[in-house]
Amino acid sequence: MTPQRRAGREASGRYGADGNDHRPAGGDVLEFDGLHKSFGDNRVLDGVTFSVTPGSMFGFCGSNGAGKTTSMRIAMGLVRPDAGEVRWRGRALDQAVRRRIGYMPEERGLYPKMKVGEQVAYFARLHGLGSAAAAKASDEWVERLGLGARRGDAVEKLSLGNQQRVQLAAALVSRPEVLILDEPFSGLDPIGVDSLAEALLGQARDGVPVVFSSHQLDLVERLCDSVGILARGRMVATGTVEELRHRETGRLLRVVVPEAAPQWADGLPGVRLVSERAGDTVLELADGADDQAVLAAALRTGRVTHFAWQQPTLVELFRGAVAAPTAEEVAA
Amino acid sequence: MSEQPRTLSSASLVGLVAKREISARIRDKNFIISSAVILLLLLGSLALQVALDSGTEESRIGVVGDVPGLEQALQAQGEALDVDVSAVDLADEAAATAAIEAEDVDSALVVRDGEYELLVQESAGGSLEAIVQGAVSQLSVAEQLAEAGISDLDVPEVPVVALDPDADQDSQRVVAAIIGAGLLYGLLILFGQFIAQGVVEEKASRVVELLLATMKPWQLLAGKILGLGVLGLAQIVVIAVVGVAGAIAFDVVDIPGDLIGTAVSVVLWFVLAYAFYAAIFAVAASLVSRQEDLGTVLMPTTLVLVAAFVVGIQASANPDGTLATVTSLVPGLSPLVMPVRQAAGEVAAWEVGLAVLLMLVAIALTVRLGGRIYAGALLRTGGKLKMREALKAERA
Repeated sequence: MTPQRRAGREASGRYGADGNDHRPAGGDVLEFDGLHKSFGDNRVLDGVTFSVTPGSMFGFCGSNGAGKTTSMRIAMGLVRPDAGEVRWRGRALDQAVRRRIGYMPEERGLYPKMKVGEQVAYFARLHGLGSAAAAKASDEWVERLGLGARRGDAVEKLSLGNQQRVQLAAALVSRPEVLILDEPFSGLDPIGVDSLAEALLGQARDGVPVVFSSHQLDLVERLCDSVGILARGRMVATGTVEELRHRETGRLLRVVVPEAAPQWADGLPGVRLVSERAGDTVLELADGADDQAVLAAALRTGRVTHFAWQQPTLVELFRGAVAAPTAEEVAA
Repeated sequence: MSEQPRTLSSASLVGLVAKREISARIRDKNFIISSAVILLLLLGSLALQVALDSGTEESRIGVVGDVPGLEQALQAQGEALDVDVSAVDLADEAAATAAIEAEDVDSALVVRDGEYELLVQESAGGSLEAIVQGAVSQLSVAEQLAEAGISDLDVPEVPVVALDPDADQDSQRVVAAIIGAGLLYGLLILFGQFIAQGVVEEKASRVVELLLATMKPWQLLAGKILGLGVLGLAQIVVIAVVGVAGAIAFDVVDIPGDLIGTAVSVVLWFVLAYAFYAAIFAVAASLVSRQEDLGTVLMPTTLVLVAAFVVGIQASANPDGTLATVTSLVPGLSPLVMPVRQAAGEVAAWEVGLAVLLMLVAIALTVRLGGRIYAGALLRTGGKLKMREALKAERA
């Protein structure tokens, strides 16, 4: 676990290191249940299912065209699914429920000629706030996101980064119960990424389930309690990053023995050589293979300076998950 | 923290959209300029009308010397020539000269021992000379006849029989109706453009995805049409009131009631025409994603409007012809033809009723089918979308 990841977890407060919510769920769950969607002959979603508990961040990964945006658009009622539904607190989303969701579309969108403050207030009103409450909430969020001085400027006069902040303000202004954000980090500089991450962690801390998609897997790994990897319209993996790591079948063991004899690990049962370079060996152990036998063999060949399970990064997990068709897919 | 979000009814959503449209539009330079130009044009044409219409000239004629019946004779001649003559008694020639130089009178007729002399500043206009000459001749003839002992001369009077006594009023109503049709045409094009630009702006800026996450496409469409419609209606009502009030105040019309009736019917037809064309313009605009592409998709509808306007003008000349009669019932054309026919001729109540009914049916169909195309097209960006594709996308 990287230090950043630890920091993220601590920021989200009430969750244990295992990433599970220890609070009684009480049905406060956002569920994507068996979404299917085809556009013509193009099958975009093929049974997308996952759920997000309150106060947790769910990172939605997948290559371009995997179906992330379509899944989110279905949740927001912008695309009609062929089958399946999205539920919040056990209730299928309808217009009234969606009004309590903060949404950031992949294609950012604001009225270019409308003033920042008025625009944010308008979206607050569309989400059901009264006139006075909307104005007040708009002022607060514009201020909080550091746009106080630009309140009276037309959105088109702002830099892209600041427009992105207005977009975020529009998503957060109505104090949504759920956040669904499509690529919220794209186009942000590192400072912008940090401040957005901070804002989202703050929302999660307040008990809001946050779903966001991203190509920046290091960011997902750092921020998210759980991740879902979407490939060809299917969820090929869901769970905490830890769970995904353990679910990897062949586990990787890195052994460094500077003066090792070549092919020292050959013949050990259930052990396959992945790479070997100047005494730095990576081995893949099948289920049930004895890691202690590997250690013994290593000690026999020389002085062991490093012996540890290799943690695959999310990038590696992603590559593995996206590359290989699942058994079900092959069957289908 | 503060107030909890409430549930929103369709009406309040539509109202929110409409309010945003209005507040965005009234701050828009194009809107302000076009409104000002329309009002200026209207006031300008009224002023022109007044200038052209001030038909009765006035003439003040000073009279030096006492001739019985001269004043009456001058006024009678003036009446015949449409000149309002007033005679002013002056003491002597010097007073007459002074009065002319001071422009107290336009001219002075000096009578000395049965001799007449007309004093003017530079020249006597044709009508002035005719009036004075006529009056003097009349007096002189009467005097000589009296001297010859002939009185009670029997001069036959020529009675005037008007074939179409209402023609004048009719033509006023027709002019008002043509102006009304022109206004309708201009405002429909203008507000159609506003609607279309608004739809494309939302598509081009992608804000529409955020909007559709909180409302249904028809609610967005209804809000836009309603908001701009309120502005359009306000504009045409202001124009009608200013126009009618101005026409009555400056005495341009003979029968104000007819003019008011025509103005009211134009305003009511505007409401129907606006609902129809605004929906079509919005739906057409939803098929493209860039302002540059608007021209192409709006062209067919604009041409229909131009045709309606041309037929409307034609109807003023021939209100009962086949072309006018048929087109005044055709939805889309009727709003620009029927008010002209109503003003220019006799239209049976059932014809007006039928035209309104057909228009309402057309509006309902347009909104229903158009709403589906609009819903299907809003989230499709890129090139120009075909209507069929949009309908398919809506079902998807």
